[in-house]
Formats: sequence, C-alpha cells, structure tokens
Amino acid sequence: MSRLSWIKTSLEVGVVTKKYPFERVEVPEAFRGLPEFDPSKCMGCTACANVCTPDAIRVVEDVNEGVRRLEYRVGKCIFCGRCADVCPTSAIKMSKEFELAYKDEVVYIIEIRLTNCPVCGKPFTTSRHLTHVSGKIYEEVLENINLCPDCRRRNNVNSIIRSAGAMR
Amino acid sequence: MEAARTVLGVLSGKIDSYKVVDGKHIIVDVKHEHLADVVKAITDELGGIYTVIVGNDARKLDGFFHSIYVFSLDSMKTYLLVRVRLRPELPEVPSITPIVKGANWGEREVKDLLGINILNHPDLRKLILPDVWPDGVAPLRKEFNYQSRPQPSSSTCYVPTRSEDVVTLPYGPYHPLLHEPEYFELHVKGETVVDVEYRGFHVHRGIEKLGESRLTYNQVPFVAERICGICGFVHNVCYCQAVEGAAKINVPERALYIRSLILEVERLHSHLLWLGVACHVLGFDTGFMHAWRIREPIMNLAEALTGNRKNYGLNLVGGVRRDVSKDSAEKVFKILKKVKEDYSKFVNGLIAIRELTKRLEGSGVLPSPDAVSYGVVGPVARASKLKRDVRVDHPYAAYGEVSFDIPTFSEGDNMSRLMVRVEEVYESIKIVEDLIDRMPGGPILAEDIEVPEYREGFSGVEAPRGEDVHYVLTGKYSKVYRWKVRAPSYNNIPALKTMLYECPLSDAPLTIASVDPCFSCTDRLLVVDISNGRKFKVSLKALANGWKP
Repeated sequence: MSRLSWIKTSLEVGVVTKKYPFERVEVPEAFRGLPEFDPSKCMGCTACANVCTPDAIRVVEDVNEGVRRLEYRVGKCIFCGRCADVCPTSAIKMSKEFELAYKDEVVYIIEIRLTNCPVCGKPFTTSRHLTHVSGKIYEEVLENINLCPDCRRRNNVNSIIRSAGAMR
Repeated sequence: MEAARTVLGVLSGKIDSYKVVDGKHIIVDVKHEHLADVVKAITDELGGIYTVIVGNDARKLDGFFHSIYVFSLDSMKTYLLVRVRLRPELPEVPSITPIVKGANWGEREVKDLLGINILNHPDLRKLILPDVWPDGVAPLRKEFNYQSRPQPSSSTCYVPTRSEDVVTLPYGPYHPLLHEPEYFELHVKGETVVDVEYRGFHVHRGIEKLGESRLTYNQVPFVAERICGICGFVHNVCYCQAVEGAAKINVPERALYIRSLILEVERLHSHLLWLGVACHVLGFDTGFMHAWRIREPIMNLAEALTGNRKNYGLNLVGGVRRDVSKDSAEKVFKILKKVKEDYSKFVNGLIAIRELTKRLEGSGVLPSPDAVSYGVVGPVARASKLKRDVRVDHPYAAYGEVSFDIPTFSEGDNMSRLMVRVEEVYESIKIVEDLIDRMPGGPILAEDIEVPEYREGFSGVEAPRGEDVHYVLTGKYSKVYRWKVRAPSYNNIPALKTMLYECPLSDAPLTIASVDPCFSCTDRLLVVDISNGRKFKVSLKALANGWKP
C-alpha cells in the first residue's frame, strides 16, 4: 500500500464525526442513564441505598418531621443500575437521559411518612413498607407487625414467659 | 495434585506447611530465614516468574503480619504463594530484590503501606506515599481509619540518584506524550539515555483501603472497574474470580462465556487505541485518526452488548448481570467483518511506511533473561520470546473452550511489541466469533451465594497490557479483609530501565509508549510545599490568576 492509498482511504471514508450537540445521538436499548424514581411506588425499604456503591442514594430518617427521606445525587451516581435491579416495587427505572452536566446538581427527594410504634411511640418504618411485608409473612406473627423491633422483642419474650407460666 | 507434589519435592525441608486453594493455587508457609533459599529454588529449579508481593495486616487473624510472594509457574498452570509470617511488634523480612529484580517495587510498597522493614534492599526510598507522608504511619494497617488525613511532615525528602556527569531531562509529570501524570527523569550523556529514574503514584487513590473498609462484596466490582479507564472490565472479572475461588462458587457457563466475550471486545478496543497512540508518538497522526476510526464500531459493539461504552457494570460475584441478546450477537458478526477489513488495510498501510518501521526496529530492546527477572507480562513479555499468556497458562472464564494462537516475537524491540499487538487483534476477533458461535444457554448468575469468612482467593486475568492479578482474603459482615490489586504496568514499567539503556533520546518517548503504560491502574489536588510541609488548597480561579504559595 503506497502513501497515495492513505489519501484514497481518507477520501472513501469521508467525515465520520457527528455534529453533536446539534445532531441527536441515539443510545442503544440497554443504555443506563439517569435513574427515574416513582414516588408513588416507593415504600422506603432502603434496599437501593444499601446496594449503592458511591452513596448516591442516601436515606435520612427525620424523626422530628416524622418522615423517611430518600435523597439521590446525580453527581455521585455511577449509573450501574443496581438500585433498579434490587427495587422490590420497581419504583426505579434507568432512563436514557445522559445529558446531565447541569450547573446545579439534580437531587431527587422522596419523602415517605414514618409510622409510630403504638406501644412506645417511636417511629420505626414506613406504613407502606409494613403493608408490603405483612402480605409476605405467616399469620401467627402478624399480630406484632405494628410494633417496633424493640417492643416486638419484649412482647415475644413476655408471651413466652406467660405461656411457660401457664404450663406450670 | 501433581504440581503440588513437584513443588513440595523441590522445596522439601524449607517449608512449614502448605495448602491448595481453589483447586489450583498452592500456598506454602516459609520461615523468613529460609525465604531467600526458597525464592532461589522457585526461580531456578521450578521456572517460577515473579508476579506480586501481597502484604497483609493479619494481626486480627493469627497475630502476625503476612508477606506473600507470588510466583507464576506457567508450565504447571499454577500460582505459587509463599507466605512469610512476621512478628507484629517489629515486622522485618530480608529483601529478595537481589534475586528477582522485579520485586523492587513490591517490597517498597509493602514497606510504605504496611510499615514492614525490608532488610538489605538496594533502594528503599518511598514509592507510593508522597514525600511529606509522616514516618511510621502505615495506611494499610487495620488501625488506620480510611478517612483520616495525617499531618504532613517534612522529615523525609526525595533524593535523586543522578551522578554528576549526566544531564537530567525531565519527562513529565505533565507532558504532551504522556496521558497521565507520571514523571520519568531521563539521564542523558549527549544524545544517549544512560539511566531512567521513575517517580509515579501521583494518582494513588487508596482503592484497596476503600474496598477493605467501606464496601461490601458486590460493591467492590464497581469500584474495581474504575481502577482503569481502558481495561476496567479486567479488574472487575479478576476480583469476582478471586472471591468466587475463595468461596467455591460455581459460576454458570453462560456467564463465563459472556465474561470472555466482553474481555476480548475490550482487548480489541484497547489494542486499537494503543496503535493509534503509537502512530501519534511516531508523528504519524493520519494513522492515529484511522486507528481510532476503526475502533469506534467496537465501542458501539460494547455499548450494544453491555449498555455502556466503558464501565460496563456487568459483573457480580457469581456471574454477570445482563444477558447477551440474539440481536446483539448478530450485530457482532456484522461489525467485526467490517472492522477486520478496515483493520488489515490499516495495518498493511502502516507496515509499508519504511520511515516508521525503521524507527521501531532495534530500539528499546528488552532481552529475554531480563524480561524473566523483571517478571514482565503481556505483549512486552511476548515480544521478548516469552510465551506467557494467562488465558493459556492459568485458564479462566471460557478460554479453555476456544483455541487461539499466542503471537510471540523474539527481537524484544519496539517493532516486536507493535507486531504482537497487531497479531493479537486478529486472534481476538477470531475468539469473539468463536465464543458467540458456541455460547451455551442457561442462567447467568449463581443463586444462593454464601461467602465464608477468612478464605483466600487468587486470580489472574490477561488484560490487554498483560497479566492482572487480584488477591482476596474474605472477611466478616460481607466485606473483604484484604484486597490486593496488581495491574500489568506495575511489572512492565520497571523494565524500562533496561529498555532505555543506551537508547537515543529521540526514541525514548516511543519506547515508553511501547510498554503501553497504564498509570492510574498502577497507581491507584492538594499542593504541598516539600521544604516546609505546608499545605495549600488552591481554587482553579486562583491558579488561573497566577497563584503562588
């Protein structure tokens, strides 16, 4: 191949660059862009925050306001889509949006009301989460479902002691 | 296991105990007074090639510091891990650098990060930590919190080793021909390079510490992927394999095929990227543009297969997250056919230019014995007559199922290193097509995974630049206790000392580029005044306005 052939190749190939951003660029089907949160589906189980490697999704328990707040920071996100994988209610979907270099960092905030323990009055989880879980567990343990973990434990121990006393 | 029997036969009397991990890697325990003898026996009698040194603060486990010397026994298809236990109050170990040149960096790293004293080491200056790092603070010890920032000290200062009759020429840390911040100090006599001093690790990110302290098993792969911007998937696979080996997890066959497939796609784009860079360094920018044009469809291919051009986020411990659809598999054949056509046209055109090949031939020679002693890996080793390739020597993923050639050249010069990569592109295309043809069905992620505590795993993967190895010691609460990464450039960059010796100055940038060094892989902004240890935080604006300390 002579030197002329390089010129020939260049002429054959022509211009390969695109005039982005004046021309739209298509992303493939499997692309993972900005995650979209559906607040109506979210039950505040915090599974997404647990798997999030860069801590882009954080959960803050605001006891004074009585809400569990889920915060998403796009600047920290690595777009792995693990949150969408693990979400039990499919409240998170990966969109195809990739133009994310905004001046202000996009922050999603979802607020879900916390429910209080009827015994000690401490807020411990969201009512949506409780409803979701109560559909999945045995009926025998359902009676204690509204209690916070501490009160539930105390309740269980007391009932065991009581039944042991009754046996004697 | 036959390899274990051979190893024990040669090392009998010098080792305390041994065990086999993951059915293929051998760990032997050695007393530190026997270390030199054992290393000599391994390199001379067993043909072992130095791979990496893993330092481990295992005081919580058995009360000792561990220093683990890893050798690759290519002919026996196994890694041999030699563990020396060191007293916790005064960890000391004799240097093996006089026996294997390649161990120089490994030992300095162990000293820097774990505070283990190395006796009789020829050059114990700081390697990884900055000059102002206070003495006696070892960041990889377990008592060191990953968020703490020690006060800089001015007690240690970098001492260059230059003699008086040479002229020193700075090459870096920022240089048009270097893509990342590294510093080569070239010592020249007239127009001839007589020595090179390397200072790197400017972008050491402390990823190992992060993995050990904050992340859980399945979070580490995403951080591992970000060790390198070009071959991140390699680290990702390597980490997962190490954990899978430690936990004895059976990965579904289809997942293994998908891993191999993406690894080869990555090799394709990496080699094309390098060919472009090589053209650029040679002053042939037309070639640079064409190489990157040919590379673009491969990036699109990666995007179609995994969702992203880079940082695929595909692996988890136990398999992969996304399946390869039939549509994208068909796309592969179409794209690769076009790439092959364009590529062979490009390569033929490149080799026909005598001005280019003349500069490549005979420059930057690395003789075979030096290659063994430095433990060089990948295309650099294969250009120096060493037939080393992890895909064959330590088969992993689906590489046992496909056949391919390992292009090997014997001259050890820049031309050989170019030709190895040129030929490997053809082989990779063949492997990708083969893998897609044979890909079995079935699940892609193992279910019910449990990772037991305190098990060791070791794994190697052939990255585009050579052998990448990860060592994992599993810990409690779904975390790793120790995660050690060694990228291929870590073993290749020290060999530049030999390659650049007596080489004309004009060939130096090319020779450095011929290693295809990946600095942020090897390493993992604050301004510090070394003379008084003061730190300054400088804003971009202040810097633009001519900031001075």
